[in-house]
Amino acid sequence: MTRNEFLRRLRSGLSGMPAAEQNDIVADYEAHFDAGMEEGRSEIEIAEALGNPSRLARELRLESGVRQWREDRSPSAAWAAVIGFMGLATLDILILLPIFLSVLGLVVAFYAACFGLFVAGGAMMIVGPFAGFPGGGMVAFLMGLGVMGVAIAIGSILTLVSIGLINATIWFGRLHYRVIQPAIGKNDV
Amino acid sequence: MAEGIEVQLKKGVLGLCVLALLARGNSYAYEIASRLSAAVDMGEGTIYPLMRRMQGEGLVSTYLEESPSGPPRKYYAITDAGRQRLDAQASEWREFVEAVEALLSGKENAGAQAEGNDDTQ
Repeated sequence: MTRNEFLRRLRSGLSGMPAAEQNDIVADYEAHFDAGMEEGRSEIEIAEALGNPSRLARELRLESGVRQWREDRSPSAAWAAVIGFMGLATLDILILLPIFLSVLGLVVAFYAACFGLFVAGGAMMIVGPFAGFPGGGMVAFLMGLGVMGVAIAIGSILTLVSIGLINATIWFGRLHYRVIQPAIGKNDV
Repeated sequence: MAEGIEVQLKKGVLGLCVLALLARGNSYAYEIASRLSAAVDMGEGTIYPLMRRMQGEGLVSTYLEESPSGPPRKYYAITDAGRQRLDAQASEWREFVEAVEALLSGKENAGAQAEGNDDTQ
């Protein structure tokens, strides 16, 4: 594999990541080729010693998602980490995918239910006093407030659970490429 | 699968080796990669995901330094957090090696001890 071929395959594996980060990564590998050629090694030798560019790209992509997730615990960063994890796309991940997706679906459903509960509580609190709520206006107001409070409590527990799930996913992903399928060796896939 | 275990072991201690190298002096990725791949027989390319991860964890920091030829080079330096990690992992590693070594060299003693324990129970 020539230098250009290596960099092309690396770049195509990184596509979709933030442009600045892609350039940073490619610059690292270009500097590596430069340094190697200064020592009199050939492009092909250097590329071979580096390993499979597509596998390296998968590893780099997961690390990038993980870093985003560490820096800000936002839904989009969580998504980047999950996408990086899916990018590993090897057999046991395919086996785990149905489990993973059903857990994901369950979490989303809980969020929706939580939101619904919050809205219902709000409606009870605001509309209840004027709509002949059994027990009177004050009871409607307090019950509505209570329901909203319960919704908020469930929501915060859900958030903690989601953070835990994402971290577990990252842990598994790293274990996966570091131990089960290290991105080294010369067998190009 | 025997080869698999070897690869797993090497990969697991790669981060420790990088920290140990950097504790002795700042370096750039190509140098780290070639020194490690000679000693540990690793794919040189794996150094870059590893360096990015360690940078993300605050174990190493980077700076640019003019090189005698060509564009400036990205150098890596170990941080205080990196030194702490190195100390912790190095002692973990030594304990592990000692335990394995004791088992490998003193099989009979270990076996006799285990039997002795069984008898007392």
